[in-house]
Amino acid sequence: MDFLSNLALGFSVALTPFNLLMAVAGVTIGILIGALPGVGPPSGVAMLLPLTFGMEPTSGIIMLAALYAGTMYGGTITAVLINTPGESASVVTCLDGYQMALKGRAGKALGIAAIGSFVAGTVGVVLLMLVSPALAKWSLSFGPPETFALMLLGLTTVTLLTGEEALKGYISMALGLMLAVVGFDIIAGIPRYGFGVPELMDGIDFLPVAIGLFGLGEVLVGAEASGKAQVVTGRIRLRELLPSLADLARSKWAIVRGTVLGFAVGVLPGAGPTVASFLSYTVEKTVSRRPQEFGKGAIEGVAAPESANNAAATAAMVPMLTLGIPGSATTAIMLGGLMMWGLRPGPMLFEKNPQFVWGLIASQYIANVMLLVLSTLFIPLFVRALRIPYSILMPLIIVFCVTGAYSLKNSLFDVGTMLVFGVAGYFMKKLGYSPAALVLALVLGPLAERALRQSLILSDAGLGIFFTRPIAATLVVAALIAIAVPAYRGLQAALRRRGA
Amino acid sequence: MRNADRVTAVLLLAFSVAFAAGALKHYKWWGDDGPGPAFLPFWLGLLMTALALALLAKNLRRKDPGEAWLPRGEGLRHMLVVLGASVAFVALLKVTGMVLGTALFLAGLLRYLGRHRWWVCAAVAAGAAGCNWLVFAHWLRLPLPEGLLWIF
Repeated sequence: MDFLSNLALGFSVALTPFNLLMAVAGVTIGILIGALPGVGPPSGVAMLLPLTFGMEPTSGIIMLAALYAGTMYGGTITAVLINTPGESASVVTCLDGYQMALKGRAGKALGIAAIGSFVAGTVGVVLLMLVSPALAKWSLSFGPPETFALMLLGLTTVTLLTGEEALKGYISMALGLMLAVVGFDIIAGIPRYGFGVPELMDGIDFLPVAIGLFGLGEVLVGAEASGKAQVVTGRIRLRELLPSLADLARSKWAIVRGTVLGFAVGVLPGAGPTVASFLSYTVEKTVSRRPQEFGKGAIEGVAAPESANNAAATAAMVPMLTLGIPGSATTAIMLGGLMMWGLRPGPMLFEKNPQFVWGLIASQYIANVMLLVLSTLFIPLFVRALRIPYSILMPLIIVFCVTGAYSLKNSLFDVGTMLVFGVAGYFMKKLGYSPAALVLALVLGPLAERALRQSLILSDAGLGIFFTRPIAATLVVAALIAIAVPAYRGLQAALRRRGA
Repeated sequence: MRNADRVTAVLLLAFSVAFAAGALKHYKWWGDDGPGPAFLPFWLGLLMTALALALLAKNLRRKDPGEAWLPRGEGLRHMLVVLGASVAFVALLKVTGMVLGTALFLAGLLRYLGRHRWWVCAAVAAGAAGCNWLVFAHWLRLPLPEGLLWIF
């Protein structure tokens, strides 16, 4: 059994004391980061990535993946207790979670979220394990045209789903691609857009950009609102966390549906946990026999989206590992990390680095168990940690951003880049642009350009190559639809305004 | 936000035209066997030009200036102080060094933002600067910027 021996290899890697410690640390920090309003999963992964440079890549990815799973649960705590989602995948949890808290059932809401997250996360890893190797094998036959088409699809769908306004999403993406062409052109062997600055010869690193946009940018937005932010005051006792049998009976199908839907959505490039949680809430409300209770504290309204976002966070690893196409800003930063560690994400990863891939998969099982244990036993502690005022956290986050940006190449130039993009991130957030689309484009840009130019060399400069190969054609058409839908809607709205 | 969008659109327009023109002027459009280094940048410049024009067109016809998006009063002051302190912190790193710089930055900002007592600010600042040094310089062996006074 090839499969079982792979899994055994994975557990032998994941169960070493250091990697276990990394998984615990990842989950713990993840819960805290997820719970802090204004610091989401992408900023958490970007800020902690520098810490992993000194480690084995396997230990590094174990910590980051555990952190990602932890943030999904952490966001729930503030969503339920103070009606403020800690990250975007917990926005819908506020609807019924906070209503439950008002009725004195905050503990039950957090309890069912923990159980749902555990079930969804574990089933998600099983599916990840079954789907990925097959997908990796299939994608081995991909040539440059398919790779380019896949990246095009990833870029367009992320843009479609992350921005408030599709046009601004595309502007963010185009800006990211423009930044990506700065630096050495590998095919022609000349530097581009360097303006004689030696630091720009190697291009603009994604890490200072990501830390600036997500870390510092969010802190600046928070600084402006400080004083108005609510502070967690409630207390949760351990006893209150256990949902009653009636609660469990009401939630069990919600958890199952949330898991399946979450995984399916998470696998798609571009659609991550946030979309999954919104969709599953809508589905649950539609199929429920008590739709009138939704928004008034229905436990299914917490169970379904919380299961869906954990399943989707796990599923987002599938395209990242097998195709080298990240599905979200968080996995885009992880993908950048993989490349920094010298690994080449994509189909060959399963062949060449089995201990890395299977170690990660096995550690996800362990991370889910830890998430369940930590989120039930230590929830009173986490709730207390949330009382640390934002005025103390904010300066600490900035110090972390500065050190993180510096640590990449020990360069103050990178720290300056981080500051510039921190300001850019502030404006992007304020004006409704999408930092996630920019970072994804910056990471994928160089790979996409190479695939595009190789395709055009293959085809003697004809665009037909993207439409005559079946896989490439399907992907390109899907990407074109993703571009056409918002454009069509925008045009329609504009015409209606003129008519009115 | 309409005004802000109009300004952004014009800035993006100028930038993208310069970007595309710069590509054609300085780099080769077509190489020996395929697209050259100017190929993608040129098309990206063109794409951004189109997007900026769309943004401009979308907002040009609107008469209302839209809601204010820049903060005022205390919010603006807080944001500018945090940003200014961060820039000063980074600019002075070569003089102060990482450890002392971090401690000063933290103590000042904590005092300003939270109005915590002096000893609280000092304790948090010293503790955090120490932890930062321990993790990055001691464990990860990262050569943090050194000031005029050795590691301080």
